[in-house]
Amino acid sequence: MARIQLDQIEKRFGDTPVLKGVSLDIQDGEFVTLVGPSGCGKSTLLRILSGLEAADSGRVVIDDRDVTGVRPADRNLAMVFQSYALYPHLTVAENMMTPLRMRDLTPVQRMPVVGPLIARGPHRDMRKQASDVAETLKITALMDRKPGQLSGGQRQRVALGRAMVRKPLAFLMDEPLSNLDAALRVHMRAELSELHRRLKATFVYVTHDQAEALTMSDRMAVMMHGDILQVGAPDEIYLDPNTLEVARFIGSPAINTLPAEAQGDGLLHVLGVSKPAPMTTTRQPVTVGVRPEHLVLKEAGRFSGTVRHRENLGADVFLHLEMAGLQQPLVLRATPQDAARIALGDNAAFDFDPADMLVFDAQGGRLRATTPAREVA
Amino acid sequence: MQSRAHLWFIGPAMALMFIVLLIPILIAVGLSLTDYSLGNQGAEFVGLENYERIFTRSTYEKMFVATFRYVFVVVPLTVGLGLGAALLIHSLGRFGDLYKTIYFLPVMAALIAMAIVWEFAFHPTIGIINSTLEKGCGTFLEAWPWYAKGCERTFPLWLNDRDYAIWTVSFIGVWQGFGFNMVLYLAGLTSIPPQLYDAAEMDGATRGWDRFRLVTWPLLGPTTVFVVTISFIRSFQVFDMVEAFYPQGGGPSKSVFVMMFAIYEKGIQQNLMGIGAAITVVFLAFVMVLTVIQRWLVERRTHYV
Repeated sequence: MARIQLDQIEKRFGDTPVLKGVSLDIQDGEFVTLVGPSGCGKSTLLRILSGLEAADSGRVVIDDRDVTGVRPADRNLAMVFQSYALYPHLTVAENMMTPLRMRDLTPVQRMPVVGPLIARGPHRDMRKQASDVAETLKITALMDRKPGQLSGGQRQRVALGRAMVRKPLAFLMDEPLSNLDAALRVHMRAELSELHRRLKATFVYVTHDQAEALTMSDRMAVMMHGDILQVGAPDEIYLDPNTLEVARFIGSPAINTLPAEAQGDGLLHVLGVSKPAPMTTTRQPVTVGVRPEHLVLKEAGRFSGTVRHRENLGADVFLHLEMAGLQQPLVLRATPQDAARIALGDNAAFDFDPADMLVFDAQGGRLRATTPAREVA
Repeated sequence: MQSRAHLWFIGPAMALMFIVLLIPILIAVGLSLTDYSLGNQGAEFVGLENYERIFTRSTYEKMFVATFRYVFVVVPLTVGLGLGAALLIHSLGRFGDLYKTIYFLPVMAALIAMAIVWEFAFHPTIGIINSTLEKGCGTFLEAWPWYAKGCERTFPLWLNDRDYAIWTVSFIGVWQGFGFNMVLYLAGLTSIPPQLYDAAEMDGATRGWDRFRLVTWPLLGPTTVFVVTISFIRSFQVFDMVEAFYPQGGGPSKSVFVMMFAIYEKGIQQNLMGIGAAITVVFLAFVMVLTVIQRWLVERRTHYV
């Protein structure tokens, strides 16, 4: 259980700045996800937090103790690696006992053959702890196998077990699910959330997969170009992104962006249609973002596009609409019933509620309304 | 009718293996049971007489003693030093390549040429080794009885004293061989996933020795099996150095009469093909045993699929 503070962390590799003064405050027992495209510095930030990498400047504080200069082993954190990093020559049980052996036994007690004889008590305790954790993770049957004999999902559990066995202050996870197949990944997402609820420990989770971030975290921090762009609950980030980049990165399929012109009088013109936009006060070119689920098929819709592609997911159908004046097709979410009426190549009329518009200025910053607007029908 | 295509696929490889490997070995086994000499019209079948000689005569006892002394000094030292050097170089950032080249030089150099240099170095009066040792006379080093004795009379005739010769030759063997093992170990070290060291650090392996025991040594297992086998075979095969130092037959009191040299002396110099072939077969048996042990170890212990 720990509160973790990262304070103005900076890191450069050679001349390339990787982290540009990142600060993040993680509460005790929180599940925080660092999410961003590859190369955004999220893994480096986690490694700095763990101590495996040293920051050029800035501080890492765990439970009000400055651990910036403390070596990883003494920070009492546990880490789950993307490649699992299990010791291939040790059995599952031995792998899980390694952190206990290294911390709780003296070098003499750790010696093969002799160690277990002269320190029976500690060795028995270790085995007990490992088998308790194995029971929690349902891997008791695998305890005598070597990692090479396990499937990806089983290795994942063993790696988790090795992290859990010594009850660390916090769990750090570096893309732990990215080597699993799609179905197992979805299943493990649920299990990790469940594990977090049960352990009530602090989890710091790094991923490039926005779906993992949205499904599991209490809060997520969206990172890009070595900076945290926005920190907040998943809903907040999804519905109320601060910048165009965040809006584009979070959500799948990605948000639709339309070029528009703000008139300066609380109206904007988007593809020849005028929409109320009280957040705009000056004449300027803007970008309007609308999520696929906010585009609605409507006979009287003021926009129309040609259906170029239908993506059928069973419960939903995503229609890709080509429109004059847009390079990227728009993506619209429809129910299967509605979508059945529209064939490839048809023209589809649609519209959206201006309240669902996210408006960004030319620099990609969000323009926010002071009072919510509803279109007068 | 069954297709005979498979014969065309395995045929060439089988033919080559028989012609260049198996048939010569069978010929050697056959020759070892005779008293054949090159140029003779025929040969007498002598049964196991050649083998009996190898395992009873004192010359061959000296051969085994010299061979095993050499092997059991050179193998552990070249493996140990090779691993040590590899670990040190692996931990270096900048001058790693320089050290790698320096340690690998003796492997590349022709041992015959290097033998001349060593012969000078070990020369009893003008050699650099003994003249350096003499400089230490009269200092605290004389507290060591061996050293005092050397000052009083002379320092050893390294290469020509039967108590020292095999150890001196072994030393040169180590000097020459450990660079090779170092390169093999360096290759092994680069293939260890760095995340394992991260995991070891997170798990609390703070001391270098802990990390070595937990990660480095187990993951070098396959490399070690290979390095040890190769070193054994290479040390059993030592020949050129002995030939360069003692062309007249196996060093002082035959104390450096190693197997390869014995094969050469009997089979080529004295044209006793039968006994030469018999020593070859014994040599082959040693190498076979080593290879079988290696296969067994590799399959049993060190591969973590």
